[in-house]
Amino acid sequence: MNDTVHLTINGRAVQARTGQTVYEAAAGAGIRIPVLCHHPRLTPHGACRICLVEIEKQRGLQPACTFPINEGMVVQTDTPAVRASRQTSLHLIFSERTHYCMFCPASGSGETSDCELQKLGYEYGLDCWSYQPNYKKQWPVDASRRFFVMDHGRCILCRRCVRACDEIAANHTLGLTHRGARAMICADDEAPFGASTCVSCGTCLQVCPTGALHDRQSVYLGNEARVTRTAATCLGCAVGCGIQAITRDDHLLRVEGDWQTPNGGLLCAAGRFEVLEPKPARILRPLVQQNGQKTEMDWDEALTRIAEKFSAAHLVAGVVSPRLTTESLAAFACFFHDVLESSEVGLLEGDVPPLDLGAPATLRDVVDSDCIALIGGNPGRHQKVLHHLIRRALDRGARLLIINDETTALDPWAELHLDLEDISFHAASPFERLKTTYHLRVSGVQQLRKAIGPARRPVLLYGTGLSSTVYAALRSLPDTTRYLPLVNGANALGAARLGLEARPVRGDALYVLLGDDAPDGQPLPQSQFTVVQAACRSAWTDAADVVLPSPTWAEQRGHFINLEGRRLPVVPLLAPPPFVRDHWETFSTLAQRMGESLPPEALAQLAGVE
Amino acid sequence: MSNKATIASDWLAGCAGCHMSLLDMDERLVTLLEHVSLQATPITDLKHPPAAGVDVGILEGCVNNSATERVARQMRARSKVLVALGDCAVFGGVPTLRNGVCLRAALRRAYVETESTAEGHVPGDPELATMQDARALDQVVKVDVYVPGCPPSADTIVYALTELAAGRKPVLTGKHLDWH
Repeated sequence: MNDTVHLTINGRAVQARTGQTVYEAAAGAGIRIPVLCHHPRLTPHGACRICLVEIEKQRGLQPACTFPINEGMVVQTDTPAVRASRQTSLHLIFSERTHYCMFCPASGSGETSDCELQKLGYEYGLDCWSYQPNYKKQWPVDASRRFFVMDHGRCILCRRCVRACDEIAANHTLGLTHRGARAMICADDEAPFGASTCVSCGTCLQVCPTGALHDRQSVYLGNEARVTRTAATCLGCAVGCGIQAITRDDHLLRVEGDWQTPNGGLLCAAGRFEVLEPKPARILRPLVQQNGQKTEMDWDEALTRIAEKFSAAHLVAGVVSPRLTTESLAAFACFFHDVLESSEVGLLEGDVPPLDLGAPATLRDVVDSDCIALIGGNPGRHQKVLHHLIRRALDRGARLLIINDETTALDPWAELHLDLEDISFHAASPFERLKTTYHLRVSGVQQLRKAIGPARRPVLLYGTGLSSTVYAALRSLPDTTRYLPLVNGANALGAARLGLEARPVRGDALYVLLGDDAPDGQPLPQSQFTVVQAACRSAWTDAADVVLPSPTWAEQRGHFINLEGRRLPVVPLLAPPPFVRDHWETFSTLAQRMGESLPPEALAQLAGVE
Repeated sequence: MSNKATIASDWLAGCAGCHMSLLDMDERLVTLLEHVSLQATPITDLKHPPAAGVDVGILEGCVNNSATERVARQMRARSKVLVALGDCAVFGGVPTLRNGVCLRAALRRAYVETESTAEGHVPGDPELATMQDARALDQVVKVDVYVPGCPPSADTIVYALTELAAGRKPVLTGKHLDWH
């Protein structure tokens, strides 16, 4: 069957694929049809009637965003009738609620407007509103969420947020209540957003065409025309979501999900909003503990002092955060291995399960999977975006099998739910073996194998810290199974490839490289002389003998290895403050002070681990 | 009398910002005055449009009480073309914020409950204008030309007045159409 369709749009011959809509065919040919409710990442809905076009042999005007194309179709997208209809629609939309632009954060002049409705108003020459709203009705503003606000007065009921919640986040919180002019976007059974099942992933905020949804942190700090967008990687967890960082004058204003990366626009509240939360005081210069208080010191003196102490120390131990680039981790590992010749190094946190269970899976495999098995781990807590990708797969009919001792947010969807003990019990007592023999108890692995059996694209997600029996059992699943390790700790996989893992360390001197991580209530390992290199003040910097400044996640360049094993670029978004030095530079200078040097080839080799 | 177009302007419930923007046209006012004749404005000595009428009447601000309504109706009656200048005249603007609360509550808040007021009372003199809901100009009288903006830029006002002086109805597009 030929899947090319020939049609004529505005007198131009256009080729498109079967199954495309008029809007998609036009967009493919570079012909713009204005839209409001339509979003390329969401299912077409046809709510706003802005995309109406003339189609020959069709009665009236038809919405381009939902109308399927067929062979020989003749479409006109910009006739006087079409323009008049769009103007009428705009007049009606403006009359519905409080679309008084001057009060709105999305408003702007001409092309600098962030509001798709306002831009269309300008484009279609609306110099007044035929139906004056008069602003008698007060529309509610829901500010019950911590990070962003919903002003129903700005809402045009395009349902982009509802569809984003259903199709991208797969959280199904948003919906519509009432009918006609009383229709309102609502969460669950009309609960305040903050008290609903909303997880504040902010996907709705990212797709909202007007100022109805706006983010508290970046509102009024600069519209799209005044900001810089940079594609970067989130260092929050091992999923490694692609982000668009929105900066202005060396300030990070907002973070959005990248549409092109596997997270497909989705982020979690931590990655989108919490990264912008105020941090404890920044450490701007080296500090040295003297006479019971911290005194500022220049880098030279501070590094000389550290070099002296380390040279005199019997054993130097090191602790490093997994939320650093592979390059920073490599500099750290190299400094300990080659300069200090110490193997007392450990990660602050983070865990990597065995990686050789079978064919590796990608995040896209999870969304496309028809059967997902979750063994140990809790993506709803530690890899939140992955949790939403799993729910997206479930919406598309995937089956879910859970073998876990921990309660997870995915439990209600599990078709098979076993304890970890069920999968490892066959190695237990002779009595258990007897029960198996007589089919009194079916092995968990057998049940898992049977459940996975009919699946065509099964994906197995497995957590850390399971027994070797469990991991061994997981190797014996059908060949079609692809495996995705639930790595804890952002770049823990990059660290593992450098031989760094979470473990207690001890030495008479200690070097802690935190970056902008802060120890979460963990005690600082005991030592006679402690150096902490960190971006911000914490209990550990307070207890240190020497504190060195560090760049934050947004000031680093390098790479990061996510749980799929993909090497992702970490891009500097902001300039570090003047006296903050790169980790690499810190360690190489320190090595020089100790009469050694970091071998650059080895470093490059280590850092480039694929 | 020359064949210059005659213009009168006045302000209703507004902030005078649109008239400030009108003055912002600087030396272009001299060129404009070769084509138009200003008969009355709130910022010149003659305040009221002449009874004989003008070609173009310009109103800034929205209608919010019996006094502004009277001014609006008089200007409409005395102009051939009525221009709504600025967001308040075109859309209702900032004064419409009070439409969401009842008039009595708005008056109490303004005259009695404000933190800086001691022993305030709501003015009740019968000679005072009667409060109404704040409305865009075209809710009260017919408007011929809309020039939105808060305020409309001096460029936009020059463009609109030049077009009107030449006997054309101004069509605002591009940078002239801005409600920001």
